[in-house]
Amino acid sequence: MNKCLFAILILSLFLTGCWDRRELNELAIMLAMGVEKVEEEYQVFAQVVVPSEVSMKGSTGSTKVTLYSAKGETVYEAFRKMTKDSPRKIYPGHLKILVMGEELAKEGIGESLDLLSRDWEIRPDFYVVVTKDTSPSEILNTTTNLESIPANKMFNSLQMSEKAWSGTKSITLDELIADLISDGKQAVITGVQLIGNSKIGSSKKNVEMVSPAASIQYDHLSVFKGDKLVGWLTEEETIAYSYVTDSVKTSVRRISCPEGGDATIAIEKSHSDVKGYIRKGNPEVDITIKVEGNIGSVECKMDLNDLGTIAELEKIYEKEKIAIINKTIDTLQKKYKTDIFGFGEAIHRANPKEWNKIKDHWEEEFSNVTVNVNVDLKILSTGTVNNSFLEEIKD
Amino acid sequence: MMQNAKISTYQFLILVTLFTIGTSILIVPSGLAAKAKHDAWIVAIVGMVIGLVVIGLFCLIAQWFPHLTFIQMNEMILGKWLGKGVSLLFVFMSFIYASSLLFYSGTFLNTHLLPNTPMASLNILMAIIIVMGVHLGLETIARSAEIFILVFFVLFFFLVLFISPEVKFENVQPIFEAGTKTVIQSTFPFIEVTSVNAIVLLMFFPVNVNNRKQASKSFFIGYIIGGIVIIIFTFLSVSVLGAYSTAAEVFPSYELAKRINIGDFIQRIEALMAGLWIIALYFKTTIYFYASVLGIAQILNLKDYRPLIVPLGMIAAVLSLVIYPNVVYQQNWNQTTGIFLSFSIGVFLPLLLVAVYAIRKKQLKKAPESS
Repeated sequence: MNKCLFAILILSLFLTGCWDRRELNELAIMLAMGVEKVEEEYQVFAQVVVPSEVSMKGSTGSTKVTLYSAKGETVYEAFRKMTKDSPRKIYPGHLKILVMGEELAKEGIGESLDLLSRDWEIRPDFYVVVTKDTSPSEILNTTTNLESIPANKMFNSLQMSEKAWSGTKSITLDELIADLISDGKQAVITGVQLIGNSKIGSSKKNVEMVSPAASIQYDHLSVFKGDKLVGWLTEEETIAYSYVTDSVKTSVRRISCPEGGDATIAIEKSHSDVKGYIRKGNPEVDITIKVEGNIGSVECKMDLNDLGTIAELEKIYEKEKIAIINKTIDTLQKKYKTDIFGFGEAIHRANPKEWNKIKDHWEEEFSNVTVNVNVDLKILSTGTVNNSFLEEIKD
Repeated sequence: MMQNAKISTYQFLILVTLFTIGTSILIVPSGLAAKAKHDAWIVAIVGMVIGLVVIGLFCLIAQWFPHLTFIQMNEMILGKWLGKGVSLLFVFMSFIYASSLLFYSGTFLNTHLLPNTPMASLNILMAIIIVMGVHLGLETIARSAEIFILVFFVLFFFLVLFISPEVKFENVQPIFEAGTKTVIQSTFPFIEVTSVNAIVLLMFFPVNVNNRKQASKSFFIGYIIGGIVIIIFTFLSVSVLGAYSTAAEVFPSYELAKRINIGDFIQRIEALMAGLWIIALYFKTTIYFYASVLGIAQILNLKDYRPLIVPLGMIAAVLSLVIYPNVVYQQNWNQTTGIFLSFSIGVFLPLLLVAVYAIRKKQLKKAPESS
């Protein structure tokens, strides 16, 4: 009797399934998602991988991804409606990039983000970008070279350009939400543009050309006030923003030589420290940026063996950098009146009592904050050569 | 009766640790951050220190009659009928908490891991293991705890190690902005779940611990270890997720595990980490259930508590499904009703016992010898 019961128990182990199982062939893996507002409704796009095209075998040569879209009054509704079109349920667990439409951003992105933070399958570690002068559908419709899955291209090139150039800024969903709710910091999101012909861009023809007819490029940084887009920063201002918020990994910067011409400094390391104070009742911010770099290229005549030249180059760089940063801060204080640098947070950390008094009208206070910028560059090496061969060129 | 079951002081220490961590690991960071914001971890430290006083109170009571469980002690000190009445309340509390923990584990799995699985089947599965554990007795529970604590701490160690690169100290600054008043106010729920509810441990402490003198020490050490684990979790939650997200998440420590990403290589391991919570939840639920089953048996003067296990297990499983209509109700109940229930059983009852004992001291000292 006991043995019989035992056998039944053991056998029943093999009969169990998993309630929540979903086989790979039932999933449509979404790598990129787009949200746009069209006439009071959300239009949601899902860029889904076509598994048979990604695999080495069995590829028929059609596009590697496909785009589904649906409209609905809420993002979630639209998202589920996509099954009307898609044969499989969209699986968002591997989402890499979220493309927000510019129109939506101008009206406010808050509501559309809630689903993404609430749904259990979505992880908040994907990047968020905003389209500039284009729409999410155009961006997500573009085929790409080198990385055949456009979402991967977008993800990697944002990561790379942030690392190597610092003219873009990657923002993940959790960072974005943290910025949106903070009293002392406003959000920024990097912009994405479509360069070229979007019609050819959506077909496979696009990737058959050496220089594609359409390509996706990151440019400009959108500035938010609350959850509404209020303006765009230029590339130079974006770099300044990256320096202040300590997100520069490496970058290069042109400077003018003492006697005319150009040189480039390759920045290897940057560290910024933002300190807030209340001095005589007025909020003040000190920014100290310590930069280390090498001489990347020399396109002018100067004697690099001279210690004086190096010191002079450092000074020129520091002066130019301070000017750009001051100009950027000025733009934000005067034009957009929004504190994207987190000066409010810096003051909050330094002096919570005073901060509580000013936080309700921080928007106006921010415009009057005195900012002291201090940049310190150390040039470490001159690359593999000392003096440039330009010195020796005979006329 | 299972009075002759013996567990070692080390096993007792482990049970205390797991009991302290239990539910707190899942929900405490969120509750603390809701009130104290980025100072949540300070509240956890303060709460742990105050909790030590409560534990001290339990140890004080326990040493009067080291051979009696809490139920028998009630009867001894308060007299037969009053004692039984109070004991019923005590049993009611631990039984409610056993079901409510089943609800927790069900909701947790339902929200994060198995959303399409009916909660009933999850709760029944959990209840079956708990019933098995209690049926096999305290010694078996203690021994399995000894094994699982290793798993627990290995997972815990990796979680802390892997998440530490994500710590942002800006998130916890400025330190101590909340002020003394807020800190003290927000400690109460923390003290409730970590130490006040530990009164159910008096059902086998010190009766079933082999070295009664060392047992009190184990109680303190176990509690401190558990407390430190929660402090670490609270600190990590706030410093990684930020105060707002910690408060907004229903299970912030699970969200913490989701954030693990070492060089795009070690990532998406949260399902593995869920083992942490399941282990801690299992042992806490089992202890509650053990206390309520044994408690009922002793109130009714039964020789063996085992016949009660299966029926009560069924009731607990069903109760866990209907006890709270939803998560919001549960959070509300915890903050309003649950906290008073715990404090009246876990603090006022012991204090009452202390008072009565002080009055009846001479009379009581004679009694156990004669019986």
